[in-house]
Amino acid sequence: MTITGEVGAGHAHRGTAAAVVARGLTKVYGQGDAAVEALRGVDVSFASGAFTAIMGPSGSGKSTLMHCLAGLDTVTHGQVHIGEVELTGLDDKRLTLLRRERIGFIFQAFNLLPTLTAEQNIRLPLEIAGRQADQVLFDRVVETVGLRDRLGHRPAELSGGQQQRVAVARALISKPRVIFADEPTGNLDSRSGAEVLSFLRTSVRELNQTIVMVTHDPVAASYADRVIFLRDGLLVSELFQPTPQSVLDTLMKLEA
Amino acid sequence: MLRTTIAGLRARKLRLLLTSLAIALGVGFIAGTFVLTDTLQSGFTEKFGAAADRIDVAVLPAPSEKDEPAFLSQAVLERIRAVGGVAEAQGLVRGTSALIGKDGKAAGDYPTSGVSVVQGPLSRTSIVSGSAPKTATQAVLDKNTAKTRGFRVGDSIAVLDQENVRHEFTLVGLFDPGLDQELAYTGAVGYVTETAREMTGQKGFREIDVAAAEGVSQEEARAAVVKAVGAGYEVKTGRQYADDMIKANGADSQFLTMGLLLFGLVAMFVAALVIYNTFNILVAQRTREMALLRCIGATRGQVFGSVVLESVVVGLLSSLLGLLIGYGMGAGAMVLLRATGTPLPEATATLTPFTVALAVAVGLLVTVGAALLPARSATRVAPIAALRTQVEEHTFRAGVVRVVLAALFLLAGAAVTGVGVSGPPGQAALVTVMVGGTLVFFGVLILGPVIVRPLGAFVGWLPGRLFGVPGRLALDNSGRNPRRSATTTVALTVGVTLMTLISVLTGTLRLTYSHKLDEQFPVDYMVQSQTRESNLPRALAEGLRTRPELTSVVALRQTDAEVGAKGEPYQTGTFTAAAGFAPAFTSGSVGALRPGTVAVADYVAKDLKVKVGDRLPVRTKKAGRVELTVVGVFDAEKTNLTEVTVPAADFDSYFGAVGDSRILVNAKEGLSSDVTRKVVEAAAQPYPTAKVASSTEIRSGFDEALDMSVMIITGLLGLAVLISLLGIANTLSLSVHERTRESALLRALGLTRSQLRAMLSVEALILGLIGALVGVVLGITFGWAAARTATSDVVFTVPVPQVLAFVALSGLAGVLAAVLPARKAARASVVDALAAG
Repeated sequence: MTITGEVGAGHAHRGTAAAVVARGLTKVYGQGDAAVEALRGVDVSFASGAFTAIMGPSGSGKSTLMHCLAGLDTVTHGQVHIGEVELTGLDDKRLTLLRRERIGFIFQAFNLLPTLTAEQNIRLPLEIAGRQADQVLFDRVVETVGLRDRLGHRPAELSGGQQQRVAVARALISKPRVIFADEPTGNLDSRSGAEVLSFLRTSVRELNQTIVMVTHDPVAASYADRVIFLRDGLLVSELFQPTPQSVLDTLMKLEA
Repeated sequence: MLRTTIAGLRARKLRLLLTSLAIALGVGFIAGTFVLTDTLQSGFTEKFGAAADRIDVAVLPAPSEKDEPAFLSQAVLERIRAVGGVAEAQGLVRGTSALIGKDGKAAGDYPTSGVSVVQGPLSRTSIVSGSAPKTATQAVLDKNTAKTRGFRVGDSIAVLDQENVRHEFTLVGLFDPGLDQELAYTGAVGYVTETAREMTGQKGFREIDVAAAEGVSQEEARAAVVKAVGAGYEVKTGRQYADDMIKANGADSQFLTMGLLLFGLVAMFVAALVIYNTFNILVAQRTREMALLRCIGATRGQVFGSVVLESVVVGLLSSLLGLLIGYGMGAGAMVLLRATGTPLPEATATLTPFTVALAVAVGLLVTVGAALLPARSATRVAPIAALRTQVEEHTFRAGVVRVVLAALFLLAGAAVTGVGVSGPPGQAALVTVMVGGTLVFFGVLILGPVIVRPLGAFVGWLPGRLFGVPGRLALDNSGRNPRRSATTTVALTVGVTLMTLISVLTGTLRLTYSHKLDEQFPVDYMVQSQTRESNLPRALAEGLRTRPELTSVVALRQTDAEVGAKGEPYQTGTFTAAAGFAPAFTSGSVGALRPGTVAVADYVAKDLKVKVGDRLPVRTKKAGRVELTVVGVFDAEKTNLTEVTVPAADFDSYFGAVGDSRILVNAKEGLSSDVTRKVVEAAAQPYPTAKVASSTEIRSGFDEALDMSVMIITGLLGLAVLISLLGIANTLSLSVHERTRESALLRALGLTRSQLRAMLSVEALILGLIGALVGVVLGITFGWAAARTATSDVVFTVPVPQVLAFVALSGLAGVLAAVLPARKAARASVVDALAAG
């Protein structure tokens, strides 16, 4: 896993390459009087091989930011680049292909197709893309998340923590440029949550994976290399090498 | 609770419409049937009522036990005319008098009718151009025959009397046969009464119409006529007479009603399946909603009531919609029937209160009935379900009860069918097979959820390979909720089963018939008299025998004779031997047929309990009672021979020189059919009633009749298929709704819109194919069984192209049904769908 570098703008921290860059990002929902500005000009970049957390109070626009960065939602103004590709202006088909090739997802809930086994779920993105899984990578990923003996089970037969680990494995298997995780531990008890977060961190360290995670949990955010804070649709602060306490302090300051 | 239900219904208008349409189509068919028949009936009533105004008393011969029609003699007519209070009395004549077409041959397959045309106050014939016949040399023709045969007023027409003597008449007018189906079918020539009697050879009148004098009521006139004619006659007042005619016609239209209602019933059954499924899915999807209602204090009864109430509203709305559809269908059918030339009275479509009540009742009962089970399962939702975030997948396991019950039904059905098939052909056997088929169908219905997954794997194998990931996911999804898939596909199975059954049955009968034709005698041409009563002169066959182009000419002759100890009437006949004519005998041989012997058909041998070697008494016209030795028994279905056959020379001495009833002709090999046909036709030309038909014509006549009925039946069954497609569309759109988040996940993972659409289309394709596959298997099996009950020695065949077409169309229709749900799924925004609860 080597990342061929292109120089990113803004807050590139670890290394020299940025996996995702957003410039002047605005997102407006509705029109006229009913218009709601969810993002009001966000400039941000996410370094390759780094684990970044996005935090902020409810309604700060953190989920919207993630959706726009991942090409799930269209932006009103501004640009988003994933690697060298500009997302803004791509039609649905190209966006879909881009997601398929370069982006991995982990959601809070409903991450897996109930009809498929764990292994089929893990391989699904590759199969949709019509690619063969790299068996060495597959074994390594499965080893990393510790699912070797659960591969034949369907989601209904797995615990919540195991389901999220399958989702992590699925996101890793296609070697995406970036993985977006939306509250991946929101539905889990603290032990399973801690497990999943360590897997995410391990994959950043060992597989040099880029991860962007939206969370409201300071403990979860402390697993990241860097935390950025949003409030009212604007980027207001950031922390490097966060601890739960430092994250909590920053949040308190924002809420005040 | 009421307000909640209504609000819920309002919020789901589109779904409501789809569901309603299924019921509305079924109700529409039933309502349409009644609109059509009521309209016909009211039209007939009006027409007959008009006739009753003119006639005060009608005299008919008393119904007799004998087959031949009874007559009213001239004497009776004179007696009636002499009755005081009778202003006028006219006898009506009806018989046959074959019109000669411009080609010099008798027109049509059946001889033209000959009728008397009465003028004056009792006239019942409506002359549309020219005038009524006034002299013995004038005649009128019904307008359809005049048109098809190219005759105009002023032309001279030739008609044969009962002795096949040609008579010339001047065509003075054309008339409209009106609602008389028989006249409309055969065509008719009208004469003055005396000439009509001469031409038709009728011994008397079919009916005498009486007009009463001024001031004499119908009842008084009737009483006077009864007194004059005495017993043995049916004397009716004009009103009674009209009522009776209306009633007789009502019986006819009742037959039509019953036939159509049968298809309506099938459609309603399919609609019920669709409704049942829809409500089941709706209840499953609203588990949380129901649980919430229970949490805030709704009782089980209230939850049950809300689902039932919803079905009442749906049922009521769809019944009303169905009434509209039915009215349109009924009116449309009238236009269509009239366009195809069926004689129908002019009438505007009628919607009777009965039709309205019936349509609403049927629609309501079926809808509510189908929703009862789903409503009951709604009451089982625990309040705690409201708090669960995710609706759990319904896992289905084949219960022992289900399998045992299905096995019982299947075994019973198979056993009953076996009994029906192994017995002798006939009505009883057919009914038995139908009962067996119904039992097997219910067995399949019960077993459906168990077999739907393996069947899906079977029919989905190819699509699953062809369409990659979407195909494989579709295959998984199709078997995901077996109960739902099974009900959806069974609705389609009903239509496909019946269509396949009809196509296999007709295909088999066609082939069987054609084999039997070949076995009987490979005949190239058959010359036959137009009427059964009159025979062909023997000179015709003699003439054919002299032609070098023809290799064998066999003449068949027959007459009625009393046969056996009890003297029961049988057709007794003979044949003239010819090269290559060797009828198959089951015992004895045709060669043994020498003077003083007889051969009989198998069923005659059974009836009379005779076998080869026995003596059989026959009462003959010329030789009195003769004792004949039975030398052979033959299969009546495989030979052309008359049921009791004696040698040709014996036949003449027993019954005299009877003409030929049929002549079977074979042409020399290698000659073109154009040449040989001309030879046969030239020989038949001098005999106007001699009709030449080739074996292909006989076959194609049979084929045409079959094709027509297959087309009509398939068309009527099409409605059931249409309803089941609505069911597929409905199930799919509900499933799409249910899997909103799943679809969003797939889209996020890189499934393109078209791949998502493909996934849903393939799922529908698989559902359609499962339904079609089961239907084809059932249809072929019971088509075979039904054919076995129709006739013996069935040559079984499956019209493969037709059956394949049914399967392909079912799959295609399934894909069509998926178009809208798939569009909706593909259009959904990924972000919104992921956020959706």
